[in-house]
Amino acid sequence: MAEQVIKPDLDFVKGVMASGGESLKKCYQCATCSVVCNVTPDDHPFPRKEMVWAQWGLKEKFVGNPDVWLCHQCNDCTAYCPRGAQPGEVLGAIRKQGIKEYAAVSFLSDLVGDKSKVALLFAIPAILVALVISMAGNWAPEGDVIFSKFMPIITIQMLFTPALLFGVVVAFLGVKKFWTDMKQANGVSSGDLKGSIIAALTEIVSHKKFQTCDVSKDRYISHGLVFFSFVALFITTAIGAVYIDVLHMESPFYLGYGTPVKILGNAGAIAIIAGVVLMMSNRLKNEATLGKGSYFDWMLLSLILTIGLSGLLAELTRVAGIGTMAYPIYFIHLVSVLALFLYLPYSKLAHMFYRTAAISFIKYSGRDSQSPEVAAAVSAVATGEPAEEEQTKTEQSS
Amino acid sequence: MEKKIGVYICKGCSIADTVDIAKLEECATKEMKVPVCRSHDAMCSPEGLNLIKNDLAGEEINAVLVAACSPRAKTKEFKFPGVLLERANLREFVAWTQEPNTEDTQALAEDYIRIGVTKTIHAELPDPFKLEELDKSVLVIGGGVTGMTSALGAADAGYNVLLVEKNEALGGWAKKLHRQLPQSYPFEALEKVGIEATIAKVDAHDKIKVFTSSEIEKIAGVPGMYDVTIKNAAGSQQAKAGSVVLAAGWKPYDADKLTHLGYGTSDKIITNIQMEERAKSGNIGAKKVAFIQCAGSRDANHLPYCSSMCCLTSLKQAAYVRESNPDAMAYIIYRDMRTPGQYELFYKKMQDDPGVMLTKGDVVEVREAANGNVEIVIKDTFLGEHIVLEADLVVLATGMVPNTKVEDGKVAQWKEKFDEALKASGGKPDPNAVIEQEKVPNLLNLEYKQGPELPGLEEAYGFADSNYICFQYETQRTGIYAAGSIRQPMHMLGSMEDAMGASLKAIQCIEATAEGHGVHPRAWDYTYPVVNLQKCTSCKRCTEECPFGAIEEDAKGTPFHKMSRCRRCGTCLGSCPERVISFSDFSIHQMSSMFKAMDVPDEGLRIIALVCENDAYPALDAAAFKREKISSAIRFIPVRCLGNLNLAWIADALSRGIDGMILLGCKFGENYQCHFVKGSLLANERLGKLQETLGRLMLEPERVRLEQLSIQDYDKLPTILADYIEEMEEMEPNPFKEF
Repeated sequence: MAEQVIKPDLDFVKGVMASGGESLKKCYQCATCSVVCNVTPDDHPFPRKEMVWAQWGLKEKFVGNPDVWLCHQCNDCTAYCPRGAQPGEVLGAIRKQGIKEYAAVSFLSDLVGDKSKVALLFAIPAILVALVISMAGNWAPEGDVIFSKFMPIITIQMLFTPALLFGVVVAFLGVKKFWTDMKQANGVSSGDLKGSIIAALTEIVSHKKFQTCDVSKDRYISHGLVFFSFVALFITTAIGAVYIDVLHMESPFYLGYGTPVKILGNAGAIAIIAGVVLMMSNRLKNEATLGKGSYFDWMLLSLILTIGLSGLLAELTRVAGIGTMAYPIYFIHLVSVLALFLYLPYSKLAHMFYRTAAISFIKYSGRDSQSPEVAAAVSAVATGEPAEEEQTKTEQSS
Repeated sequence: MEKKIGVYICKGCSIADTVDIAKLEECATKEMKVPVCRSHDAMCSPEGLNLIKNDLAGEEINAVLVAACSPRAKTKEFKFPGVLLERANLREFVAWTQEPNTEDTQALAEDYIRIGVTKTIHAELPDPFKLEELDKSVLVIGGGVTGMTSALGAADAGYNVLLVEKNEALGGWAKKLHRQLPQSYPFEALEKVGIEATIAKVDAHDKIKVFTSSEIEKIAGVPGMYDVTIKNAAGSQQAKAGSVVLAAGWKPYDADKLTHLGYGTSDKIITNIQMEERAKSGNIGAKKVAFIQCAGSRDANHLPYCSSMCCLTSLKQAAYVRESNPDAMAYIIYRDMRTPGQYELFYKKMQDDPGVMLTKGDVVEVREAANGNVEIVIKDTFLGEHIVLEADLVVLATGMVPNTKVEDGKVAQWKEKFDEALKASGGKPDPNAVIEQEKVPNLLNLEYKQGPELPGLEEAYGFADSNYICFQYETQRTGIYAAGSIRQPMHMLGSMEDAMGASLKAIQCIEATAEGHGVHPRAWDYTYPVVNLQKCTSCKRCTEECPFGAIEEDAKGTPFHKMSRCRRCGTCLGSCPERVISFSDFSIHQMSSMFKAMDVPDEGLRIIALVCENDAYPALDAAAFKREKISSAIRFIPVRCLGNLNLAWIADALSRGIDGMILLGCKFGENYQCHFVKGSLLANERLGKLQETLGRLMLEPERVRLEQLSIQDYDKLPTILADYIEEMEEMEPNPFKEF
């Protein structure tokens, strides 16, 4: 058998332990995690191998490894781990390391990942928004509460569009590098890129992997709520942009509460709050079995909750005509959305890019389709024996 | 004094629902002619017990037969000090295993009354055997952590201790350690070695006399009165001791034999003992230290067993590495991490250290790396392929070899000499003559017919282990108790626990000897073997078969018991062809009388089962508890050990018309379960002469069967018995029935 030189990297171990994987070393490699995981592929199981690699600080093993991204953080592994090693949390920490590794401008990575820098993290978008308002807007507009008086739409576009573009471009570059690494690490040179991406997106939209979560069944609902409300809010925003920038029409949001755009937007806002609250409550409720989650997890959850709540409250206070409350809340909303855009490739939200890439890659490389031997073995285990038992029972009863 | 037996029949636990109690009473009083027979709904109740006590108080009776439950049950209730007591087991052997109210069941119960009364008639209360002179000192051999702990334990309990250490100073291996494992909860932090404090305590204890640079030249005598000769530079000294704790410890496995792990090829490959020295010197001198577990352990070519402390030692030494430098890494390559007892906590603690990396795996090769370091090639890891790990220091975690271990090949050499001696002497060899010359392992130098040292069990790998199931600390020499790593590989904490256990056993032995009763496993037994020397032919069979070296011979070859070595098993009783050895409550004649007392009708099968009371009898009780049905043809009679079997019994029983005998005893073999080493094996050997015995009676040898079973085989017992009965039914009835 080929020999493989391993180079344990103590700093990598410490890094994973410091980013939410502090339980990493408790693993004694029994493989309960890989056995209970319903998301793992049968012929390439995780997370035990990742736990062993990480314990030994084998950083290079994670370069171009799609498996850590196939994990949907159900945390069934954590619930069943006999040693309290919390593989779900550890994999989260490893993904965080991956995000940090692939995203350009490492200063921002450090900022997002470091609890002690949370003030600076929000000061940057806050100062940007404040600067724009100070220059082009009005800190205390008179009369009816109209947000464009506070910060004109054009300035929002001038600030937010580049921020989003920055985020997307950085994420794209990261994913591109990740893709190249995956191809290299797995020795894959060609495949059906378009078909794989479509298949991956179909799988993601269906949320069927989340349905297999065992201990935290609510995860299917909560992730679905957040996911689809993001889609709804994206569509709503896009329609707005099309009305204003392409059609040069009045914003569709003034057309009234009965219009589809407005309904979709408001429903999205309510759903995103519900989804995030559900995620948070599940985290707290299941802390003992599933782990409490890392700062990295909670930062994103809090940010999304802030966006949702501030958006909805801004709308309500605006309708109620309470300017003294509406504008400050709207300010918070703007700052948090800008933070989301700016930190898109650095925060946990970057999983939308890397996970999509990883799922696409296993389809692209053909690994997603089971080998016939494994399929046969799996079906024998899953259906063979119980079927026989069933038969025997029937025979006995007849 | 005339024996007046009272029979007390219990009606409870469904006995009265199964048999006719009135008829049983009639059997006792009319047929067996006992003066008193009473029954009660629950004989073990205060009212039932009062029946017995009142009769005893009124001197209507002076011996008791309780016909109720198993003699293993209600022992606290049925206890009448100073009164001869026998038990007939009507509950387990009749009420729970037989069809109620049939003729056969009634006949069975009545036979148990006859057998019980006869047994009582032929039994007497013992007059305990006591040594004229007794020394209550404990001799402890070995001044390491085990020996010192044991010495302190016995001394603190008030006993004088002689502590003999071969080296110049006390302390043993513990003294060579850099740090010791945590000794108490939470079992997380390493501790400074505490051995100096123990040494100081021993030195200061006025009941402990320490002999350093000393060895045992000879141990003669018996438990309670050993004559010990201690040898050192100053010469030989005589001392007396009542019992012995053997705590002579271990040595590390010879690493020179570990060439497959590169030992000897590089100064970067060392043993865990050398690592301890390095750590103690304060300079580990390495940043990437790989520990190879099971180095020469659990390996058929080296030590086939697990030493149970090497994993812990490596974890401890990993802590040394990590403490020496925050960037240093300790790699542990294990087959299975084994951290016995609470040390799992220490394992967990060390595992949490990011710089301690562990993987399961088998080392394929250890070779020099291009940069002068060492490369280890490992297979079967969870890291995927064959991995290559570079280290600047490799520590081989070697195991323990007990100081009782005789070097490989030695035994074969002895055997050769033995065989030569056998030829030369024309069939009368003295195996000990050879062993005497060897003086190996030279620890006890016992003056025993069976040789100077402890007999080694094949499966104990040279450890002084007796029987790991029931007898911790016990050896095959009464009064000598093994403790610590000479008994079983163990860590320091285990050794200290072991030491206390062994010193308690040593004290128990002294007190039992003083009181004149047996030691484990017959610690309640005041009887002892008595030889009717007038009829002894000096055939020496008893001296050869005694498992405990309790019988020696005088110059004329006449056997005599060194009584406090005796464990009261009765193997000698079984071995004697002249039937001259007996106990006050157990004899050849008594058993034969019991067989004769049974009612043997002309029609119908009658079987006697002799049952080992240590394993087979409890197994029968368990089967009865499960209400298994057992043939009513069988009469179960307990024996102390199947080694009690005397061929005379078979002849007596079968010539009385009994159709067959089944002997239920322990499994054979060195890794024995037999409480008395090899009782059932000896019984089986005696059965080799069965053909001769039965041939005289013109009976088939198939009528007698020996079955080996252990206590947990209770579920197999009903089938074993049923199969035997089936075969017996196919045979012609015993023709002696009609005589």
